[in-house]
Amino acid sequence: MTDVLLFAASTGLDQLWAARMQMALTLGVHIILACFGVGFPVLMLIAEGRYLRTGDAIWKTLARRWSKAFAVMFAVGAVSGTVLSFELGMLWPKFMGTFGAVIGLPFTLEGFAFFIEAIFAGIYFYGWDKLSPRVHLLTGLAIAVSGLASAWFVVTSNAWMNQPRGFDLINGVAVNIDPIAAMLNPATGAQTTHMIFAAYMVTGFSVAAFYAWERLRGRDMAYQRHAMALGLFLGMVFALPQFVVGDWAAKMVAQTQPVKLAAMEGQFQTEVSAPLRIGGWPNEETRRTEYALELPGMLSWLAYGDTNAKVDGLDEFPRDETPPVAVVHIAFQVMVGGGSYLAALTLWGIGCLVWKRHLPRQRLFLFALVAAGPIVVLALEAGWVVTEVGRQPWIVHGIMRTKDAVTHAPGMEKVFWITLAIYTLLTVMTIGILRLLARSPLEAAADGS
Amino acid sequence: MAPEAIILAILWGALTLYLLFGGADFGVGIWEVNTALQSTERERNLLYKAIGPVWEANHVWLIFFLVCTHAAFPRAYAALGQALWVPLLIAIVGIVFRGAAYAFRANLLGQRTQRTIWEIVFAVASTVAPFFLGAAAGAVASGKLEFNDAGEYQGDILLGWISPLAIFTGFFTVGVCAFLSAVYLLRESVNQQHDDLVKVWRRRALVTGVIMGVLSLLGVAFLAFEPESFWSDFHERSLPLFGIGIASGFAALVALWYTWPLAATIAAASTVTCVIWGWGVAQYPFLLPPNLTIKNCKTSDSVLWAMLWSIAVGMVIVVPSLWWLLAIFKGAHHDASKKSSGY
Repeated sequence: MTDVLLFAASTGLDQLWAARMQMALTLGVHIILACFGVGFPVLMLIAEGRYLRTGDAIWKTLARRWSKAFAVMFAVGAVSGTVLSFELGMLWPKFMGTFGAVIGLPFTLEGFAFFIEAIFAGIYFYGWDKLSPRVHLLTGLAIAVSGLASAWFVVTSNAWMNQPRGFDLINGVAVNIDPIAAMLNPATGAQTTHMIFAAYMVTGFSVAAFYAWERLRGRDMAYQRHAMALGLFLGMVFALPQFVVGDWAAKMVAQTQPVKLAAMEGQFQTEVSAPLRIGGWPNEETRRTEYALELPGMLSWLAYGDTNAKVDGLDEFPRDETPPVAVVHIAFQVMVGGGSYLAALTLWGIGCLVWKRHLPRQRLFLFALVAAGPIVVLALEAGWVVTEVGRQPWIVHGIMRTKDAVTHAPGMEKVFWITLAIYTLLTVMTIGILRLLARSPLEAAADGS
Repeated sequence: MAPEAIILAILWGALTLYLLFGGADFGVGIWEVNTALQSTERERNLLYKAIGPVWEANHVWLIFFLVCTHAAFPRAYAALGQALWVPLLIAIVGIVFRGAAYAFRANLLGQRTQRTIWEIVFAVASTVAPFFLGAAAGAVASGKLEFNDAGEYQGDILLGWISPLAIFTGFFTVGVCAFLSAVYLLRESVNQQHDDLVKVWRRRALVTGVIMGVLSLLGVAFLAFEPESFWSDFHERSLPLFGIGIASGFAALVALWYTWPLAATIAAASTVTCVIWGWGVAQYPFLLPPNLTIKNCKTSDSVLWAMLWSIAVGMVIVVPSLWWLLAIFKGAHHDASKKSSGY
């Protein structure tokens, strides 16, 4: 082991790069599982509630089968989350040593929320035959509420990294800490809402996509239709409001992190009446975003409510304080593009519901919905890249640089490759198990665990 | 009372509960290793069924411990991450694999080969993780990790954590997990009236109990060679806990001999609690001896009080919920008539 690590240390890929890739990988996997942890209980609850109200056995089958799928994702999500709580100290000791306490309160509260989620998950998974139906439904509600709460708490601490508040830094030590002010920083409202809506969209559209695929492959029974409708319903509820929340989040970024907004929009020069750039490739050499479709004055209007407003460009800021523009701009385009696709799909669904009183039945809609599965996950990851890479080179905006927070432990690169291998294996296995669960005969799930 | 001392007590409580509950879950996998996965299908069903409902909740004590440590004693948390990154990294890999293997295994009903592979992974990972977590704890207790007063690690980044005490504690922790698990499984077998499994687990619990008793004495001998101050504090302050620990250890063996499952469970848990608290009391007020104390690692009092209030409120919700979970699935009367085969 030692030899391996020493060898790795000597091959020397950049320490910071390796640590960041490690964090990106482990968080990038966890964020998907966490979204299902927030969203899936809602689907199970609605299905179980429908069963209690209508007595239709399909809903019960759905709730039970989904609870098994949820159990797998919850178990893997719990360990991938544990990895992160270790990594914060192991990869970023300076960050945690200096600021661990400032964001300690939301982490403590998140710990409790997760505790409650885990306790009631145990009761819910194994209590189908031990509890009355009503009480069982209530335990499901506890999972949904605590999942929501833990998402909120944990995102407040990421919001704090964008908008650090509630402390004074004296000689490198955080003093006069006000944990509530840190938790309720200016970025918290928009960022937590944006993330939670995203979690519901990810769950809803992924589930709908899976059953749309099943229907296209000929398994087009009431079971698949119910399941698809429910997933789609959850996704559709949040797809349009997410635009409003996203706009709120972007306006907040414009006010508090103008350099991030400039990177998101590929805005190199400060400009009055700045155009909204759709697509395009930010060229850091020529300091221009090339090949973009430009909507005149729209960025000024979106960011500040006035088509003539001045938007700060990247050149306004010191070079060593700007994020990698291309990554941020393109990730932002991918996120907005994905969101627009899902919104269009939602409008199609709503239109059909209003005029024909049922969801669209065309094969084209089903195909479009299948595509929504990967698209919603891609949009999620892209959005997270925007907020994380857009904050660089800072780990705490304006206060601590990421390179100053990183560990000096050797062999980070090796650790990253090993982690990549392990996570790939686990991802493949998790997907395989979920497919297996989906394929098991319906009756087996209906009459017991 | 100073808030940092209260938080430390809460942290130690969480660590104890993690060992008592999460440790027993590790023990299930350790028994699979010990028996070279030769358990019969019935034995194995008892194993996995016993941990099913409480699996996730038991794991959260670790997360709770970690987040409270980094919130209350950020400097100690950062110092641990630097000094112990090798054993902790290996422990994480173990935790990841056992958590995932547990979930995969439960759903691979038809696929025998794949299921067996994940059972092996589960068993091995369940042994590796507590070994390295225990070794990390032993490295802390040894007082040989070299920190400067700012909490920066000065020792060897790869091997600095290795000491005789650390290795011993690793093995000891694995033994504790196996012992707790055997005692709890005896109780499960009695409750479910599997007479043959009662015999198996009584024998295993007794044998492990005796071995752990001998190891504990060895451990005390070990401490005699550790830093002078540590040993003398141990002598003065931890002696009562040491006495209770020995007494309840013997009580556990007696209860196992006569197959009194509840008494054995309580006595075993009390023994383990005495070990953990004996360590804590001995090294108080040091978090990371020899130079990081709760005073020079703690964050500001405003944060500590905010944490204490939120822990108080949180516990009002968590404790009854946890009680209910255990009452449903681990109460004495959860019976054989309503057998469900896990999930």
